[in-house]
Amino acid sequence: MSEPQLSVRDLSVRFPTTRGVVRALNGVSFDLEKGQMLGIVGESGSGKSVTAKTLMNLLPRTAEIEGEVTFEGKDVRALAASGQKHFWGVEMTMVFQDPMTSLNPVKKCGEQIAETLRYHMGRSRRDALAEAEDLLGQVGLPDPAKRVDQYPHELSGGLRQRVVIAMALACEPSLLIADEPTTAVDVTVQRHLLNLLDKLREERGMSMILITHDLGVARGRCDDVAVMYAGRIVERSNTENLFSDSRHPYTDALLRSIPRIDQPSHTRLDPIPGRPPELINPPEQCAYAPRCRFAQADCMEAVPESQGVKGMHEFACFHPANTDRGREALASNVAAGETAAGLPVTGYAGGGT
Amino acid sequence: MAGSGHAPLRDDPNIILQVKDLEVEFPVGKGAVVHAVSGISFDVAEGETLGIVGESGCGKSTVAKSIIRLNSIKSGSVEYQGHDLAQLEAEPLRRIRPDLQMIFQDPISSLNPRRKIRDVISEGLAVWGDERGSWSRDRIEELMLAVGIDPKYGDRRAHQFSGGQCQRIGIARALALDPKVIICDEPVSALDVSVQAQVLNLLEDMKKRYGLTLLFISHDLSVVKNVSDRIIVMYLGKACEIGNADELYQNPRHPYTRALLASIPEPAPTVDPSDGDIDGELPSAITPPDGCRFNTRCQHATDICFTDEPQMQRIGDEDHYFACHHPVEVSVGL
Repeated sequence: MSEPQLSVRDLSVRFPTTRGVVRALNGVSFDLEKGQMLGIVGESGSGKSVTAKTLMNLLPRTAEIEGEVTFEGKDVRALAASGQKHFWGVEMTMVFQDPMTSLNPVKKCGEQIAETLRYHMGRSRRDALAEAEDLLGQVGLPDPAKRVDQYPHELSGGLRQRVVIAMALACEPSLLIADEPTTAVDVTVQRHLLNLLDKLREERGMSMILITHDLGVARGRCDDVAVMYAGRIVERSNTENLFSDSRHPYTDALLRSIPRIDQPSHTRLDPIPGRPPELINPPEQCAYAPRCRFAQADCMEAVPESQGVKGMHEFACFHPANTDRGREALASNVAAGETAAGLPVTGYAGGGT
Repeated sequence: MAGSGHAPLRDDPNIILQVKDLEVEFPVGKGAVVHAVSGISFDVAEGETLGIVGESGCGKSTVAKSIIRLNSIKSGSVEYQGHDLAQLEAEPLRRIRPDLQMIFQDPISSLNPRRKIRDVISEGLAVWGDERGSWSRDRIEELMLAVGIDPKYGDRRAHQFSGGQCQRIGIARALALDPKVIICDEPVSALDVSVQAQVLNLLEDMKKRYGLTLLFISHDLSVVKNVSDRIIVMYLGKACEIGNADELYQNPRHPYTRALLASIPEPAPTVDPSDGDIDGELPSAITPPDGCRFNTRCQHATDICFTDEPQMQRIGDEDHYFACHHPVEVSVGL
């Protein structure tokens, strides 16, 4: 098998704060093949954005980073240490959630794109502006010649996000990281933007990491999906498998807690009990155990290692859902009325029961 | 999209709130106005949940705020228990307002950060005195328990709670004065999915337990369907389709409703993916298009759509109304 384009190994990130050390990432490992679209889903605080920012070398100086990131044979963290300027924004670029705050409000759209080209690619001002206009056309902005001379506030949210995408694409990156690119826009615009990203990725043979909290977006667009919880990837699989045959109880419960459009109105939802864990001084146990209907005594004693078929379907759980081991665990918890963590369980439709 | 006309208004003694020809405009200087809501009519029966869905800028929040007069109304009426809230003087309006409560989108910023949450929840009672309704200030703990907040945290302040807990506190505050109607403006949009389901279930429970009528505003079509009995789809200040929640999603007739249902990441099975191919962006609400307001983006638009505003019409005997010159024919249910 050829080398993956991006390889992340045991990435850990800690932020010292006055309240203690926040363990934002705890040993994240994943590979990305060239041309692949990987979705990273999770709730706020699960570490999706910290993962992206670590890859992009955007974390504050106070962050304590451990682990390896290799991109096309280059050790990315060594590049960061040597002050490599023309890597981020050229080979690896990023699109952020809020297009208004990622654009400079007092600079014309064309200038902002041209700035990237002049700095990284050494283009002349005139060439860079012409190229910027061309890029705006490629991302589907109507009337690009007019748009280069407009300021971000003159554009709608959807158009602004297209400008940001044009900027990210300016130096022909081979990996684009999109962090919640469509969270701030309406569904009709979201559809257009995701279609655009799909098209550009295919045309350019680019790889993409799509970070989203919306499982529907990940399901519709990604080849593979990684689910994050409390700074770890708890499950990773090809998309179809993840949604039809999930192993981690968190994934399973997440899928069940979302209202579905094909269910009749007033269908009772099945929420995940409790709330996400604190990342300061977490106990040495499965982070999801206190909310998990499958939790057994062993979940409270150690952090489960990733298991399953590497590169196909991996999950970090001692009692995976939709397996005999998981069914046994759930049945014993239902019989006892509570889990090993003391969570009351009266019955659960999920997890292959 | 025009959505004018009174066809969707029902002749039912249980109607608790009736909004008729509501128009709201906001001046933006130099004589220009934003036509935020342009003639919308609907009603809500007691114990019903009415969902209002649409994209940002369609006027859904303005409708909600107009009902409790948080913004001024240009014309139209809001009938509630024999009173026209749109015409009411300040003092009688103040006396009616406890009946109509609101839950806001951002749970944290809608709570006063400097006050203990027990005081936040009981402020309405402090104003109205203990004689009003079923709660009293010494029963606040019961109310906190009802929404799932441990009363021992009553002395804490908003920043010490998570977003989901703050929204529970917001719900408790809305319940404290024994309201008849609660207007929920995007109450779960700021919450994570795992917490969203908890809050939606809580709203359903509170509605049953306290006999509430809900107005539920959201841009999330799945969420709106889950909680609503009836749904209004809005576009640029007008209603385009109104109907029973299940019926509306089963047989969407308005091209805009279909476009929305086809645009969500996992499209509804009742629409074709091509229905989502709508062009461009929302036109300006300062100079909205003549005729049907959706004509700039609609695949089916013809000459009449640019001159005549379609009126709300009923589909057979169904609780289902739409305003369109070229409704999409559906094979089932007709």
